[in-house]
Amino acid sequence: MITSKMPSLRIDQNDLKCKNGCDYFGNPQWQGYCSKCHREQMQRQRKAEKASSFTSTLPRSDQRKSERGLKLSSHASFSKFEEKRLRQSETLKKTNLLKFNVFKKNITDDHEISTERRQPEFKIPTAVFEGMKADFRVRFPSFPPQIDRDARGFVHTFILDVIKWAAIMNVDELSERVQKQYQRFMKHMETSQHYASVDSDARELLIDFVEKHAMTYLHELPSIVFSPSGTDDERQDRAMSERIQQLSWVGEKHLECKLDRNNAECRRLLYKAISELLGMDAARWSGAKLARVRRCARHVLRLAAPAPASADDLLPALILAVLKANPPRLISNINYVTRFCNAQRLMTGEGGYYFTNLCCAVSFIQNMTAESLSMDKKEFDCYMAMPASIGGSAWAAALSLCGATREAEEQSALAAKLLEQTKEIQREAENMANNAATFEEQIAKKVQDVLAKTPLEIKPRRELPRLRREGVGSAPPPTTEPGPARTSEPPALLNEPSVVIDETEKLNILGFEVVEERSPSKSPQLDRLSDLKQSSSTELLTPSPMVLTPFDCRSLDEVLTPDEFPDNIPGLSDVNYDIDLSDFSADTSLAEDPPAPDRRRTFDPFAPQTSKDSYKLLESFDEFSIVDNARESDPYEVVHRPDPFGSVLDNDEGRASILDDSGSPTAACLLPSPIQPQNSAKPT
Amino acid sequence: MKVIEAKIVVLGSQGVGKTSLVVRYIGKMFSKHVSPTIGASFFTCNISVENARVKLQVWDTAGQERFRSMAPMYYRNANAALLVFDITSMQSFTAIKGWVKELQSNVPEAMVLSVVGNKSDLESLRAVPYNEATQYAATIGAAYCETSALHDQGIEKVFKNTAISLLQLSSSNLVSSLRSYDSTEEKIPTASTTNDRATHTAKVELPAWSIDSIAHGEPQKNMCC
Repeated sequence: MITSKMPSLRIDQNDLKCKNGCDYFGNPQWQGYCSKCHREQMQRQRKAEKASSFTSTLPRSDQRKSERGLKLSSHASFSKFEEKRLRQSETLKKTNLLKFNVFKKNITDDHEISTERRQPEFKIPTAVFEGMKADFRVRFPSFPPQIDRDARGFVHTFILDVIKWAAIMNVDELSERVQKQYQRFMKHMETSQHYASVDSDARELLIDFVEKHAMTYLHELPSIVFSPSGTDDERQDRAMSERIQQLSWVGEKHLECKLDRNNAECRRLLYKAISELLGMDAARWSGAKLARVRRCARHVLRLAAPAPASADDLLPALILAVLKANPPRLISNINYVTRFCNAQRLMTGEGGYYFTNLCCAVSFIQNMTAESLSMDKKEFDCYMAMPASIGGSAWAAALSLCGATREAEEQSALAAKLLEQTKEIQREAENMANNAATFEEQIAKKVQDVLAKTPLEIKPRRELPRLRREGVGSAPPPTTEPGPARTSEPPALLNEPSVVIDETEKLNILGFEVVEERSPSKSPQLDRLSDLKQSSSTELLTPSPMVLTPFDCRSLDEVLTPDEFPDNIPGLSDVNYDIDLSDFSADTSLAEDPPAPDRRRTFDPFAPQTSKDSYKLLESFDEFSIVDNARESDPYEVVHRPDPFGSVLDNDEGRASILDDSGSPTAACLLPSPIQPQNSAKPT
Repeated sequence: MKVIEAKIVVLGSQGVGKTSLVVRYIGKMFSKHVSPTIGASFFTCNISVENARVKLQVWDTAGQERFRSMAPMYYRNANAALLVFDITSMQSFTAIKGWVKELQSNVPEAMVLSVVGNKSDLESLRAVPYNEATQYAATIGAAYCETSALHDQGIEKVFKNTAISLLQLSSSNLVSSLRSYDSTEEKIPTASTTNDRATHTAKVELPAWSIDSIAHGEPQKNMCC
């Protein structure tokens, strides 16, 4: 027997020949016969066994055991040879596969016993079935739960079966077994009454569903179905990848496909196709992988030709895509699909067609020669000798830049957008600036107007309180009597009969105040004739808040003092003194209304002086001035005036009634009220 | 009603008009049977013949000489082949002979062969005599048609003939990879024209994957490329 010679570790060809002496090779698994002879032998044996009925069962099992022992001993040393043949088997299908299948049959018989001894230590994680359950509910909501259970049960046995046999069988056998499982399930669907209501399309989906879940799980297990142990898939992957790297210089010209690398759309499509190809490795079950291939091919089709693309266009473009993509684990993936995909899907349908194309592309790449690229042999060799890192056509460059260019394009688009935005922003900013400018102008105008309108009157107020304070605290202020400042103060009110005189006197008083508060410089400016309210107003406006507060305080504090103040002041004391006293005692409440008009009347004389401009201005000024006056004057002067002069003033007012009417009420309303109480309080 | 599913592969040298033939046929069938998204390289269509329905999957092949060696992948498991040549080119006709030899040696199962002489509109430039082509077709047991993709002549006949032959082939039960079955009652054939791709209903087990058939010496179709 052949096996007895095995220890020599050398196998002569004669040793491998069939024992019967026919030209075929024998196999230890077939007791040294070739497949044909072995089968005949077996058939004879079976017949004999049948004839001898069951009496000889025991010796037979003995025999089997011994056979197995032999086989196991020979198996290891034989495995290499076996693998070689496995590879050859693809080309020499008929004969070899015949043998193999017998061989496999034998082995299955054998190991059914041995696997019984193995504990079922393997457990499928429940997550698989939970996921399945959920998926089932989503995909087949209308199906009865029985089918769900059925499918899960099938997947369970399917997975266990594959795992069990993966350790023992070689890949081809395993793939056949898987295919048989698919068929088993299909048959089950045909026969079982649960599926009676399920139409054929749904059955297709169901078998896909089962395959998906079983293979998705199996795919994750190392070396079971994906690049299984015992195959050189991984080595081939590496070889393929290197080969593709070497061929990176191959471009569309070599493949004669009509692509325009400068066309952005074309690049985009190729890019898409490539990403689909790359994604194939990530997909876990063959259906998903096929879907990827299909999508890739569709991109390629669109890439290849605008018209309905033919295979003439498809294949070269697909080859180019594969070359440029250099997908990882390409061979493993292809083998995985061919072995474990439901054969019917693979043989038929669009997915099958495109997958076939992909296989063609791969085989073309593997066998690429100068001829197949229709180029000079020398040139080809030259290219091939070139280090992969250098090699690269313009296409490769264009493609390798593909991502970069895309990014660049995106970036530039973004930049353009930003540019527009910034322009708009600038425009708006300018608008805004203009608006701001005009607003500023307007404000400035208004302010100027206001400034023009709001003049001197305020001044006196401040001055007055200060005056009082200072005056009270220290006499010095009065020293600066010259106060030429021409304020439209109510001094006139004091002395009605001699208005002019009063004014002068008052002016003097005011003059003091002004000088004290601000600066002496202003006082000179304020000439009687030239004292423009504007000038004084500007000065007044700014400090006003500052001054006002102290003023108020003072006014409150020194309610009484002001009255006395004038007394203190040397020049004025004479005149004021008398009046003040008399006034104070009088009823402030009644007096208020009249005094306002009084002032106005007093203004009249000023008006011509101050407002040389226009009447309106005058009016406005008057109002302000009145207000101011009212405030300031209230503490002292208002009080003085009311009663005694009231009647007199009224008479006077009668002349200037128009002006007064408009201004007086507001002034009276606004100002007097807060101040009055003080006044009233003071006197009392 | 009987339903047959078959795969047809279109073979021929480059430039003989395989694609235009197919495109022309698709264009005609477009509204009825062909899903438009699929390119001309692959499509499915249904043809009703007598009292049966034939589902055809047409696989176009790349005609370039450089891809010649890849052809086996395409015609593997094919049930029919359209051998297209250009009547103005003798070379393409001789190429057909090469294809036939290859098919005969590589495809174990019976196939329906149709020889198609395309570009019949270029009668004045004819290089392949009609008689010669017919005779050759007869010797290989194939039907011979002349078509013009340009004028859309005879193309439908080619497919129809193929369908009829497939029907006969399937009834002979010689071919295992040709799937035929009786459509189930609820599936009315007229309705199924709408969904071309709903294939393989209630299918028969594929003998190619049955261990038994292999053990008995029947040719095995290896799925590997």
